[in-house]
Amino acid sequence: MEAINANAASLKNKANEILGVNPEDAKLTKSFLLVSFVALLLGGLFGLLQGINRAGLLELPSWLNYYQVLTAHGLLLIVVFSGFFMIGYFYSGLSHTLGGLLPKVRKLGWIGYGLSMFGTVLVVIMVLMNEATVLFTFYPPMMAHPIFYFGLVFVVLGIWSCCIGAFIQVADWRKKHKGQHLPILSFFATGAFVLLLGCTLFVAVEVLFLILPWSLGWVDTINVMLARTLFWAFGHTAVNIWYLTAVSAWYVIVPRVIGGTLWNDTLTRVVVIALVIMNITGGFHHQIVDPGISDTIKYMHVFMSLAIGFPSLMTAYALFVVMERAGRRKGGKGALGWLKKLPWGDVRFLAPFIAMLAFAPAGAGGIAQTTFQLNAVVHNTMWVVGHFHLTLGMSVAMTFFGISYWLIPFISGRVLTPAMNKLGVIQTYIWAAAMVLMAFAMHTAGLFGSPRRTSYTTYGDHAAALGWDPYMLLIGFGAVLLTIGVLIQFYAVIHLMFFAPKGQTEFPIAPKEPGDVTGYWTERWGVWVVLLIIVVAMAYVVPIVDMIVNAPPGSPPIRPW
Amino acid sequence: MMDQFKIGLALFIFLAIPPVASFMESVMVIHMHMQMPMLVIAGLLMAPFFQKQFPNFFEKWNENGIPGILLFIIIISYWLLPRTMDEALSLTSVEIFKFISLPFLAGVPLRDSWKKLSDFSKNFVITLFTIVFLGMGFLYIFVPVQLCNNYLIIEQIALGWAFLLTAVGMIVYLLYVAFVDPSEYE
Ligand code: HEM
Ligand SMILES: [Cu+2]
Repeated sequence: MEAINANAASLKNKANEILGVNPEDAKLTKSFLLVSFVALLLGGLFGLLQGINRAGLLELPSWLNYYQVLTAHGLLLIVVFSGFFMIGYFYSGLSHTLGGLLPKVRKLGWIGYGLSMFGTVLVVIMVLMNEATVLFTFYPPMMAHPIFYFGLVFVVLGIWSCCIGAFIQVADWRKKHKGQHLPILSFFATGAFVLLLGCTLFVAVEVLFLILPWSLGWVDTINVMLARTLFWAFGHTAVNIWYLTAVSAWYVIVPRVIGGTLWNDTLTRVVVIALVIMNITGGFHHQIVDPGISDTIKYMHVFMSLAIGFPSLMTAYALFVVMERAGRRKGGKGALGWLKKLPWGDVRFLAPFIAMLAFAPAGAGGIAQTTFQLNAVVHNTMWVVGHFHLTLGMSVAMTFFGISYWLIPFISGRVLTPAMNKLGVIQTYIWAAAMVLMAFAMHTAGLFGSPRRTSYTTYGDHAAALGWDPYMLLIGFGAVLLTIGVLIQFYAVIHLMFFAPKGQTEFPIAPKEPGDVTGYWTERWGVWVVLLIIVVAMAYVVPIVDMIVNAPPGSPPIRPW
Repeated sequence: MMDQFKIGLALFIFLAIPPVASFMESVMVIHMHMQMPMLVIAGLLMAPFFQKQFPNFFEKWNENGIPGILLFIIIISYWLLPRTMDEALSLTSVEIFKFISLPFLAGVPLRDSWKKLSDFSKNFVITLFTIVFLGMGFLYIFVPVQLCNNYLIIEQIALGWAFLLTAVGMIVYLLYVAFVDPSEYE
């Protein structure tokens, strides 16, 4: 009798593990994802305007100028689309792998949602009113309306609420499952939320202590270098968190979709830990041409940036191991025969696969940019824009799209029909082709000197500027194609969320290889956080003290628009 | 074990190469917060070799770990003084003493003692250094005069912040130990 009971209980557990979705947790994730994809839609439409403006085909009206559009595009895509997606996805991962969110965690999630929504709305209103045309980096001494900065504060508060919720969930699970390993997806989530908390601390200091008092007129001037440095400690880390989120799907989800196993549990965790400890200090590579930072410090930071390349290379290796293993088990023969066995017609595989491929040129470009002399060639040119459309617009965004084709049906109690899958595959090809085209054109125009963040101009028909035009036309063409991609993707999301046939969808998590045991030491989050603090201290103490103590006179606000 | 010894020795030799040493000593924080700890780490790595070579010595003189940790504390405290850092730069004999004392009189005894200490003593040592580091941090940040002949005030301030942040790291660790009971999780 007991045995039967135990059996029934474990069966129920199993069923929950595979199929179970807690409806309340699903609602939370659904809300985050909906905001995320609305941001994609709006941001994409703004991107279209930018693209055809830079192609020289559209002059934007004075009530919606290029820089306003660019500010909205940057913020909506790099912050709202990516951030809301990351939180929604990881919260459903926590719920799914840790047996449902605790009620108080769910509450923290909702509080976080409310606060960041409120903040986002304030920010967007200010941008649309042309009161905050400061681009997503909001570098001082350009000064926006104080409400814009208050909006940012609320976004950050919301993020903190979500981070704390995640930590509570993880700690509680570990208490109830002594000696067990945190499931790998939750491990990724923990790392990502630790980084998210760490990096938002920097931007919080920037906004609360430097910018707000200055924008409210309490102080007259601002330390520009310090603000930029604090911003990039945040900005750099943020995009790496979006990347870590995508990587989690490559390691954990993709192997399951192709019917394979995890690569190696311990080493996967090592990659997460390495990315968490070494990430924040990469921020300086965005300031390679900034004055006031000594050569020695810049040199050290080249090293710090390249250090992140190592776990990335491990990732590239790991993913091909996983794919080859799965392909061979399905009977793939020869050096490359296994490739044929992969499910190329499945959008849940195809989209993240192309995303991974994109990371190869994107990473190589990143290594070039982080090098002092090469950076001098491409700094602030369209090259950089090409680079982050490969990293974010392809690697991250396409992975998120791939996730959406199972995560949204999963949380909505619906299924991905073959027709929708087909549409997804088409969307994937359109998006990939368009991004490659646009990014190629951006890189090339950048090498020829075309500046970024500059609305269309021929500089009085200067020959060099006219030479960029063919590439600019390509950018415009890419932008039109991409907009078609955005529309299809948005349609797919809405359809899967509200209209697809009802049914149950799997949350695909790959099993371990038999005999793969995990080192318990990987669970020592206290140690990782201390190491993180030490590395950050090593990187930031000397330059920041220098920036404060040897500061030039501060800058009064400037409004160039 | 031999591997650890070799790594430690290699690290020691690397740190002693004149261009490496003079680069690390050219920046105050790197001198105190990288070169010196790395010398101690070199000693930590080499310790098992000495423990094997001279088991009786360690057994006899460091039975409960207290003498070793006291020696460690004394050596480290000595090197926390601004004056000693200055002298290491000006007097070759002091520089040599630094390269001997930190690995062999701090690193080796630390490794030999740490396992012998009770949890209470371990946390006591960390707490002690947290307090000392907080003190040193405030000292270096707020003292209005240049303490070293060889380093400018700006470097002193950077060093002060490095001390404070190290102390913050240790406080995080101590809080973790105080409030998180690993047996609840493992
Ligand atoms: C419909 C798809 C998209 C199009 C047509 C597009 C196009 C553009 C263009 C033309 C620029 C302006 C370059 C300049 O003048 O400096 C730009 C900037 C930018 N895009 Fe996109 N993009 C798209 C999607 C994305 C996605 C998915 C992301 C990120 C997830 C993204 C992130 C950014 C960022 C961060 C900037 C920089 C804004 C700034 O410099 O302040 N874009 N994009
Ligand atoms: Cu970066």
